[in-house]
Amino acid sequence: MENIMKSFKNNSMQWRYFKQSIFFGAVRLSAFIIALALGGILFYIIVNGIGAISWDFITKPPTDSMTKGGIMPAILGTIYLTIGAIAVGLPLGIVSAIYLTEYARQGKVIRLIKVGINCLAGVPSVVFGLFGLGFFVIFLKFGSSILSGSLTLGFLILPTIIGASEEALKSVPQTFREASLSLGVSKWQTIYRIVLPNALPGILTGSILGIGRAAGETAPIMFTAAAYFTAKLPGSIFDEVMALPYHIYVLATAGTNIEATRPIQFGTVLVLVAVVLSIDLIAIIIRSYMRKNKRW
Amino acid sequence: MDSDIIIKLNKVNFYYGQSRALTDITMNFRKNKVSALIGPSGCGKSTLLRLLNRMNDLIDGTRVEGEILFEEKNIYAQNVDPVEIRRKIGMVFQKPNPFPKTIYNNISYGPKLTGIGVEDMDTLVEQSLKRAVLWDEVKDILNKSAMNLSGGQQQRLCIARALAMKPDILLMDEPTSALDPISTAKIEELIEELKKNYTIIIVTHNMQQAARISDETAFFYLGNLVEYNKTEKIFTNPDVKHTEDYITGRFG
Repeated sequence: MENIMKSFKNNSMQWRYFKQSIFFGAVRLSAFIIALALGGILFYIIVNGIGAISWDFITKPPTDSMTKGGIMPAILGTIYLTIGAIAVGLPLGIVSAIYLTEYARQGKVIRLIKVGINCLAGVPSVVFGLFGLGFFVIFLKFGSSILSGSLTLGFLILPTIIGASEEALKSVPQTFREASLSLGVSKWQTIYRIVLPNALPGILTGSILGIGRAAGETAPIMFTAAAYFTAKLPGSIFDEVMALPYHIYVLATAGTNIEATRPIQFGTVLVLVAVVLSIDLIAIIIRSYMRKNKRW
Repeated sequence: MDSDIIIKLNKVNFYYGQSRALTDITMNFRKNKVSALIGPSGCGKSTLLRLLNRMNDLIDGTRVEGEILFEEKNIYAQNVDPVEIRRKIGMVFQKPNPFPKTIYNNISYGPKLTGIGVEDMDTLVEQSLKRAVLWDEVKDILNKSAMNLSGGQQQRLCIARALAMKPDILLMDEPTSALDPISTAKIEELIEELKKNYTIIIVTHNMQQAARISDETAFFYLGNLVEYNKTEKIFTNPDVKHTEDYITGRFG
């Protein structure tokens, strides 16, 4: 009897080990598939695009009806729009998050606002583009410009920034706030001196990842900022610009000679991916720096 | 009113939403004494402590009835700024909670931001750390992060941080419950020393601690003040049977 019990126990252990190895295998496989997909895309882009990359390609404007030359105005345009989106989205998002987590009395109204923000995150980017066209370009008469595009992109990434900021603010221990307030320091000073500095790395990491996404968006800028072609560089925020995502779209669908510009298209895609990934890299560097310094 | 009474509670009721946490508390705290608040968990002693510097304001949906007079002024009156109250009534928390800053900046933080005119910050930092009996241990590492200190040192730093504001009263919410016996003994010695200059009100779960360090002890149960008397009397010959049962460990 004892022997039977023992072998049954052993069997059940073996069965559990077997189940565990199947589960581990499945988990490992799915991680592998994701890595493979990313690697495949990158490999395909690099192989096809690397030939087009040269110093002239990234420093010269397009020539011959965009079938030759470089993409410098588009790179610069994307950088301007990204900086503009940060300038619009980051302050507004952080301030909103501070209000929602630190000041607002938690209740129905706040819940409703939070649901609204989440819905905003789910709105398709082309809708943001149309909103930008209707409101910034036409109603406020900003025209198709860096300003309109930055505002539109800024609003597009607002939910991401608010979400990241809320999480970062909530992760600052309540005991820090209590300690500061118990010293007779005012609420605003407590937020400004204690809460915000400790939340900032988290806010920046989350926000930059959102901004990286926005930098690659086409729909929000095609009505609000992006020019089909302009060799002239923008002189002010009221000028329109070329931008990498829209340039790719134009070359691939509406160019004068789509087949002939394939290498340029791949080259532009490669540059865009490089820009987005380097924005993500900044976020990763900030995060690792934050982890090193976090002590509570 | 006698002149040595610094805080006077008059029929104080306190509510978290609908539930009442404190019922008709009337009691006085004396100047330059150590008063201990004891009682089982959830009896309202910490709630009472946090009422005295308006820390309960931070919780949504709370309500106070009655009056709490600090130097004969009701701290819950309409025109009173809780920030002003907290400058005069400092607090030390259960878990040491230094800021993730340097030791020096932990101390200078309050005085700097609250704009109480400090002529010589270095002297104030030194003075505060000496009063909290931490100076000798940290005088060479003032610019190191406070997070590197041990738990007991962190708690004394928190006391020093509160003292730098030159408060009249120091509220302590189970200040030693997260500390080892040696650190606890140090903090208790410190309290003994501090009462010469400050009024101390301390919440504690440790009966021996209350007996050792306090002059007066209040026993709370289910939001009621059961008995409030000289510590010696409470621990040797309490008036209420309930108090005796709690102190001797018959319930709790």
